[in-house]
Amino acid sequence: MSFVVFLGIHSLPGNTFVNERVRGASLALLLHEYGLDRPVLVQYWDFISHAVQGNFGVSIVNRGEPITPIVLRELSVSAELGGAALLLTIGMGVTFGVIAALRQNTWVDYSLTTFAIIGYSVPSFVIASLGVLIFGVWLFDVTGGAFYYPLTWDGTYGTVVELTVPAVALGLFTSSLVARITRASMLDVIHQDYVRTARAKGVKNRVVVVRHALRNALIPVTSVLGPLIISIITGSVVIENIFGIPGLGKEFINSILSHDYNVTVAVFTMYALLVGVANLAVDLAYTVIDPRIRY
Amino acid sequence: MTQPVLAVRDLSTHFFTDDGEVKAVRGVSFEVMPGETVGIVGESGCGKSVTAMSLLGLVQRPGKVVHGEIMFKGQDLLKLSNEELRHIRGRDIAMIFQDPLSSLNPVLRIGFQIDEAMRAHDKIPKEDISHRGIDLLKQVRVPDAAHRIKDFPHQFSGGMRQRAMIAMGLSNKPDLLIADEPTTALDVTVQAQILELLRDLNEQTGAAIILITHNLGIVAGLCKRVLVMYAGEIVEEGPVEQIFESPQHPYTWSLLRSVPRIDSNRQDRLLSIEGLPPDLIDLPVGCKFNPRCPFRIERCFSEPPVIEDVAHAQRAACWVTMTRAYDEMGAANITDTSPGAASGVHPQGRRPAADLAVAPAETLSD
Repeated sequence: MSFVVFLGIHSLPGNTFVNERVRGASLALLLHEYGLDRPVLVQYWDFISHAVQGNFGVSIVNRGEPITPIVLRELSVSAELGGAALLLTIGMGVTFGVIAALRQNTWVDYSLTTFAIIGYSVPSFVIASLGVLIFGVWLFDVTGGAFYYPLTWDGTYGTVVELTVPAVALGLFTSSLVARITRASMLDVIHQDYVRTARAKGVKNRVVVVRHALRNALIPVTSVLGPLIISIITGSVVIENIFGIPGLGKEFINSILSHDYNVTVAVFTMYALLVGVANLAVDLAYTVIDPRIRY
Repeated sequence: MTQPVLAVRDLSTHFFTDDGEVKAVRGVSFEVMPGETVGIVGESGCGKSVTAMSLLGLVQRPGKVVHGEIMFKGQDLLKLSNEELRHIRGRDIAMIFQDPLSSLNPVLRIGFQIDEAMRAHDKIPKEDISHRGIDLLKQVRVPDAAHRIKDFPHQFSGGMRQRAMIAMGLSNKPDLLIADEPTTALDVTVQAQILELLRDLNEQTGAAIILITHNLGIVAGLCKRVLVMYAGEIVEEGPVEQIFESPQHPYTWSLLRSVPRIDSNRQDRLLSIEGLPPDLIDLPVGCKFNPRCPFRIERCFSEPPVIEDVAHAQRAACWVTMTRAYDEMGAANITDTSPGAASGVHPQGRRPAADLAVAPAETLSD
């Protein structure tokens, strides 16, 4: 993975110092200082042998600043945003899906279903742009100017608004999808024989719905959760850039544009790790929720 | 005289579908005495299962009990609120279902599902529940019960799952156990074991059993009394031996003749009942069995027969009855069982073919 990215980013035309308009001997000197005049394979070996120890080297743009702490900080911001979006996806999606299923063919069901259709029809960048417009511009006085680049890093990212609005923009699509799947799956499960058995046992209706119906209805939901998490991760690149959130997604674009080679690879590596961990977590969740599955 | 544990009077359950009102159960009345074993037999879609579901208020939309009275321990179950009915379900009246593969929740442990039935009610003291769960599994002869109780349903065989279902049904020592085709999904040896188990449990616990089945052999094996249902009505009822010996309704008679017998000649064709059960949305006028009945008379097309005594403890809803069919129509020797064949009645120019063309696709499954 890192090798492909490394080759890719190094094969882009130009180099880090294009914008500095250095030429001739001074350029050669700079290239030499950062080891960029060596063959790409040698550079890769140098990079990867440090990277496996958790050291991604130094940034070229920000002259000598170590990359690892930066990327980790950005990861924490992205994780905060992604986590909020995921919470929204599962929390809102499942709740609305269950409510719509239990109130099938009533106005509650129709309005929730309509809302969900809008939710996964509108692209996230449209919602994001509206979010910036409403909360960043129109409500400038209320929010204290959210989404203007924070100047200093004080350990955590943003205000409640600065977290919620991007999380909604990011999670609306996935939560609409989850709501729809949950609704369909609940409608299927609620007519299953074992739900009837539970009723015949005299179990309370609330318990029947949650313990017997919902637990089974969540199985198909869990199976789409993997792809949905990946769509949240990729979506975060767009969202972070629109809202100016100093996370991995923003660094991802910036580092490519500025040819900050090692940063790009580090960011890519983080994404690869995230996707891997997310899929593993989903698979593990699967075994918990469905005892018939064993690995 | 002892009071019946359950008395159903004039129960009607209809399904309000887009195609019309499906009259699945129409005016069904019967009684079950304490400790009695009653069989309800009939073809698929005749309303057996819907009757059972109606008893426990488990009929789901678009179905609805439209009329009737279900007296259980001096109260009408149809007048109870959902919450009041919930306290009776699983506690005083338990039900076990047709397909043990789909009737157990796949994501919960067997033991949990059995305990849950007890926890839902306060009949069994809390501290006894987990212990009783194991005892119940032992009672329904699940080997190594103490360990198997921790299994999930998919780790159980079909027969074991049905045993677990029965254990669940018995957990609160109910007065009445409704078994809806408990052996249909099982192979014959397991069927026999399950029936034997139900019989033993009936003797040991004194719980009355309503056994719903389309299999007459099972009724003969377990029940003392039998109700025969056709197109949502009870057409005949009486003691099992008597019904088997001398059925009075032509439907019961046909049903008994259509059971394959090991001692019959292999070349003989199996006698099926020609035609299909009637469309429950658009029922025939008069007797509902008239489009398929070999012994029908003119009256069957104009007036629905009333269920009345035909022998001691035996009642049937038929204008002809088999006694007369034997005496006057030579029912003992007939080979042609097509509609009207024995009586020669084809009113309004209807031919057998027209009769057979009635029922469209089945509107109900059970």
